[in-house]
Amino acid sequence: MLENFSFRTIVEYLPLFGQGLITTVWLSALSFVGALIVGIVLCAMNLQRGWLFRVPAKAYIDAVRATPLLAQLYFLYFGLPRLGFVLPELVVGILALSLNSGAYIAEIIRAGILSIPRGQVEASVASGMTYVQRMRLVVLPQAFKVTIPPLLGQGIVLVKDSALLSLISVSELTRAGQLLASDRFMPAEGFLTIAAFYLLLYYGLKGLAGVSSRWLGTAGART
Amino acid sequence: MTKTGLAKTGMIDFRGVNKWFGTLNVLKDITLSVEPREVVVVCGPSGSGKSTLIRCVNGLEAIKDGDLVVDGQRLGDPATNMTQLRTEIGFVFQSFNLYPHKTALENVTLAPIHVRKIPRAEAEKAGRELLAKVGLADKVNAYPAQLSGGQQQRVAIARCLGMRPKIMLFDEPTSALDPEMISEVLDVMVAVAEEGMTMMVVTHEMGFARKVAQRVVFMDAGAIVESGTPEEFFSHPKTDRSRAFLSKILRH
Repeated sequence: MLENFSFRTIVEYLPLFGQGLITTVWLSALSFVGALIVGIVLCAMNLQRGWLFRVPAKAYIDAVRATPLLAQLYFLYFGLPRLGFVLPELVVGILALSLNSGAYIAEIIRAGILSIPRGQVEASVASGMTYVQRMRLVVLPQAFKVTIPPLLGQGIVLVKDSALLSLISVSELTRAGQLLASDRFMPAEGFLTIAAFYLLLYYGLKGLAGVSSRWLGTAGART
Repeated sequence: MTKTGLAKTGMIDFRGVNKWFGTLNVLKDITLSVEPREVVVVCGPSGSGKSTLIRCVNGLEAIKDGDLVVDGQRLGDPATNMTQLRTEIGFVFQSFNLYPHKTALENVTLAPIHVRKIPRAEAEKAGRELLAKVGLADKVNAYPAQLSGGQQQRVAIARCLGMRPKIMLFDEPTSALDPEMISEVLDVMVAVAEEGMTMMVVTHEMGFARKVAQRVVFMDAGAIVESGTPEEFFSHPKTDRSRAFLSKILRH
């Protein structure tokens, strides 16, 4: 079986995989930053008491979570130009991932904020802090810490979801595997290699989360 | 005071205050005045409304009707700046509620720096002095999780004192503590009282009440049933309900 497996071809295609890997890394990183911004804004809207901001935020989050990312991607890629917005595929890809992941991140951050005990808010209210001070000094620093593991999970999902961008001809990692599969009829080599690279990215992200966890300190243990 | 249209008021003035949780009348027609520098102990059975009573004073709970005037400002009045008023009122919680991500010193200096806008160096100097005063000079850099319950509650008291409040409210400050830690917290509270702080203290600690309280208020089912000096109240309770309550807390 293995005699049919061509390591030589993989090595030959390594520059292509390398380029794909680099594209996947930076477009995922950009999308994650975008998703964080979308998520924070949505979460802030969602935590308002008045319906004016809360209802649209909830509707958006539900709509994104209820529909397949592929459908969202196709809507942006094929649908938007018909409505008069023509964007390069890379921009469309990053936009789709940001808008999609942002909805999940909004819920992750909201759960983090709601996990902070009521007593913390009461103590800061009682000391005369304004809403913004309360959030900035007491709630968010604590919420951020409990939010890191689920955010990491979402980051991993985002990296894997970025494979869908191969369908709108973005030359990322999965696209490189597809090329090897179609050029040389070597799907095993192509897709096994990209799987190995995704695994590498996964461990990279895990390491990053560990570092940031330690950087935020271990002293915040709840009493 | 004249702007509220009320006669001369104390530091904390309840006049016919009512509050409901749903259909439950948790505060019934409360009238109570606490004078400056006075220490009032509030006691009563569980669910009698004593915590709710003091939580109304700094607006952690809103009152439904009646008047509550604190430091000359009427709560619920649009002219009253609650955030500003709260800086004058320290609140000590049963469960301490220290900020777990901040050291003892940072817990004490956080509000003075950000709310009172005191320069950091000055706030830290005052913070160290306050922690020394509550007997925790060596715990300045400890995080709450590294402190015992009694130590945490003393940090919480120092945190309130850091704001230089006019009023301190204590909501069962020793109820969550192991017995051997109660006296270290009470000692600090006695010291604060002896410096002339206006205090409302929800507690069943009779020793504390006898030592520093001018008045004990007994609540039951949302109403003030009895009020008198600690000596009167503990030695000669006037009502059946206060006698029944005292016989329960004194039995052991």
